Amino acid sequence: MDFDLTPEQQAIREQARALAAQFDDAYWRRCDAEHRFPWEFYQAFADAGWLGICIPPEYGGAGLGISEAAILLEEVAASGAAMNGASALHLTVFGLNPVVRHGSEELKRRILPEAAAGRLHVAFGITEPDAGSDTPSITTRAIRDGDHFIIRGKKVWTSKALEASKVLLLARTTPLEECRKRTDGMTLFLADLDPRYVTIRPIEKLGRNAVDSNEVFYDDLPVPVRDVVGEVDKGFYHLLDGLNPERILVAAEALGIGKAALRRATAYARSRHVFGRPIGQNQGIQFPLADSYAKLQAAELMVRKAAWLYDNGRPCGAEANMAKYLASEWAFEAADRALQVHGGFGYAKEFDVERYWREVRVMRIAPVTQEMVLNYLAQHELGLPRSY
Amino acid sequence: MNIIVCVKQIPDPETPASSFRVDEAAKKVVPAQGIPPVVNPYDPQATEAALRLKEAAGGGKVTVISLGPESARDAIKHALAMGADEGILLNDPGFEGIDNFQTAVALAKAIEKVGQYDLILMGRAAADWDMGVVPMGVATLLGIPCVSIAKAIERVDGKVRVTRVLDDGFQTVEAPLPAVVSVSNEFGEPRYPQLRQIMLAAKKTVQVWNAADLGLSADQLGEANRWLKLEALYVPKVESKVEIIEADSPEEKARILAQKLRADKLI
Ligand SMILES: Cc1cc2nc3c(=O)[nH]c(=O)nc-3n(C[C@H](O)[C@H](O)[C@H](O)COP(=O)(O)OP(=O)(O)OC[C@H]3O[C@@H](n4cnc5c(N)ncnc54)[C@H](O)[C@@H]3O)c2cc1C
Ligand SMILES: Cc1cc2nc3c(=O)[nH]c(=O)nc-3n(C[C@H](O)[C@H](O)[C@H](O)COP(=O)(O)OP(=O)(O)OC[C@H]3O[C@@H](n4cnc5c(N)ncnc54)[C@H](O)[C@@H]3O)c2cc1C
Repeated sequence: MDFDLTPEQQAIREQARALAAQFDDAYWRRCDAEHRFPWEFYQAFADAGWLGICIPPEYGGAGLGISEAAILLEEVAASGAAMNGASALHLTVFGLNPVVRHGSEELKRRILPEAAAGRLHVAFGITEPDAGSDTPSITTRAIRDGDHFIIRGKKVWTSKALEASKVLLLARTTPLEECRKRTDGMTLFLADLDPRYVTIRPIEKLGRNAVDSNEVFYDDLPVPVRDVVGEVDKGFYHLLDGLNPERILVAAEALGIGKAALRRATAYARSRHVFGRPIGQNQGIQFPLADSYAKLQAAELMVRKAAWLYDNGRPCGAEANMAKYLASEWAFEAADRALQVHGGFGYAKEFDVERYWREVRVMRIAPVTQEMVLNYLAQHELGLPRSY
Repeated sequence: MNIIVCVKQIPDPETPASSFRVDEAAKKVVPAQGIPPVVNPYDPQATEAALRLKEAAGGGKVTVISLGPESARDAIKHALAMGADEGILLNDPGFEGIDNFQTAVALAKAIEKVGQYDLILMGRAAADWDMGVVPMGVATLLGIPCVSIAKAIERVDGKVRVTRVLDDGFQTVEAPLPAVVSVSNEFGEPRYPQLRQIMLAAKKTVQVWNAADLGLSADQLGEANRWLKLEALYVPKVESKVEIIEADSPEEKARILAQKLRADKLI
């Protein structure tokens, strides 16, 4: 067994950390307060070639694995950029996996180099108002009309849609009642967010305010057949391949925020004097932080294991789910404790921990809820009857 | 154009005051827990200068040298990730505790061992002690010119033309090559390492030379050969006192305040 990072992974960690450090907490506080996409940050990572980390070299990327991407996004989050930074990069770093795996050669040549260079933003439109955890019940429809599909429906939570020019969009091509299996009959499109047919409405939300999430209305959007990703009616299965790595990356991002929170909490606990001594001298402060430290270390091992399994072509469903479950649970706990350690100042924006707390909270909900992870583990790992 | 860049790893200057400790008895800075050391902030600028000069010359080699502990390899790797060609770590238990002069001796020996060089670049100072004397020391030992605190460096007709930063302006000088030039922050932003370059750099091996490889004896590195004697090292105490000025009118308060400030020689 080898727990060491390779020299390349070590270098990625250091350099990602160094570049992320160019953008301090004050920058992120500002982006968050102004609801402003972090363009300078995004451009710096694009210019240095990080966005294409997982895109194959023949399409302008670096062709590295999920292990490396996880290190990148963990470091970005841990810098204090939290989800505002991680989400700004996340979709380019990994959102295009279905195109890499299932897209036509023509589509890949057209899309991937542009995305790797940071010039093309793609959003992810899966969730609908009445279909979140239960994807097969989506109602957005795509109907074939000559060499086009016409798409009509409503998506919700589509992140970064305001910046993106394209969206990976899941729509029903065969109505649910006509499908043999509920997971059949859906198709994945790489569609233009053409303002003539698409209306985007930002959702006011708890945090991660530098990256918008939106309601998106598709009003008979025409999409050329050549923009279908993979096979018609098989879209759900094309997405499945990308779910595990996405969970691993989200886990790494949560882990990064947990580490940032813990770093801030311990620094504050050392310097804040109450009753004549540093608050960090009290076990009431030390123990929760030490407990969080241990938990984050354990979560990190699960993230690494899941990434290693994926990169070695092995099944990793359970590990990817557990990594996301543990990291988001414990990172939120760490952020909550960091807030508590800061006393009243924890509640003030100036100290940043409230921002970490708001942002890491979403990982217990998206891209998959904790409950759905437990459903998966109960059913597939413990062999218990499916509950839903 | 063959350029040697000297880089140093230092404690993070952004270390919060609450984590900064000095061992007064040992006269040493205690490494801050959980805050890894960083590349001296001026050094990537020296590396940037080297890369630009190499690019302008259309070829050559940039060699990076760092004297320091095993962890200083990271400072070298950073320069390699920026695009430098080769790295050499000068590492020896005997280097522990040497002064600036002995550092200059070791660097000069290493530079002679590398052999081929047109230009040697360094940061204007290391941000830990902020003395900025090593470039002069190295130049003196090698018997070549030293131009300090450069904001721009250009190669013209086998010479180097350097714009220096002064307190109240700039000065442009020329020196024959080879020469030592120390680079200031006014030089401009160093490039961010490209992911591709980072991967290449990670695969490169950094050579390690010890004192014997440089032909340095224990005596040369010993106490007796130190020019700098550290008498005491301590964190100054900052005290604050508050005095409320009482008077009948704002004008009167201002007058008393002005008198007090003048008495304390603050105005
Ligand atoms: C900030 C943010 C960004 C997002 N970005 C995107 C994006 O870019 N693209 C996109 O497509 N989506 C995005 N999402 C949507 C996200 O993937 C969904 O919110 C998530 O999948 C949960 O679905 P839902 O909100 O419909 O919750 P629901 O499915 O309605 O679930 C509600 C609650 O019921 C629980 N529950 C449901 N079924 C069961 C069961 N069988 N057993 C036990 N408990 C159950 C859930 O765990 C949850 O607690 C984003 C969400 C957020 C908050
Ligand atoms: C929204 C808001 C509104 C407020 N409104 C008012 C107001 O109207 N008027 C007013 O006067 N104040 C107000 N406050 C201040 C509030 O009462 C204080 O924040 C609170 O008493 C905690 O004090 P502190 O922030 O100085 O934390 P600190 O005393 O610095 O405590 C920091 C952390 O150390 C812990 N700690 C300290 N000592 C020990 C120990 N011996 N053992 C274990 N743990 C310890 C604390 O529990 C805490 O977790 C407000 C605060 C907020 C956030």
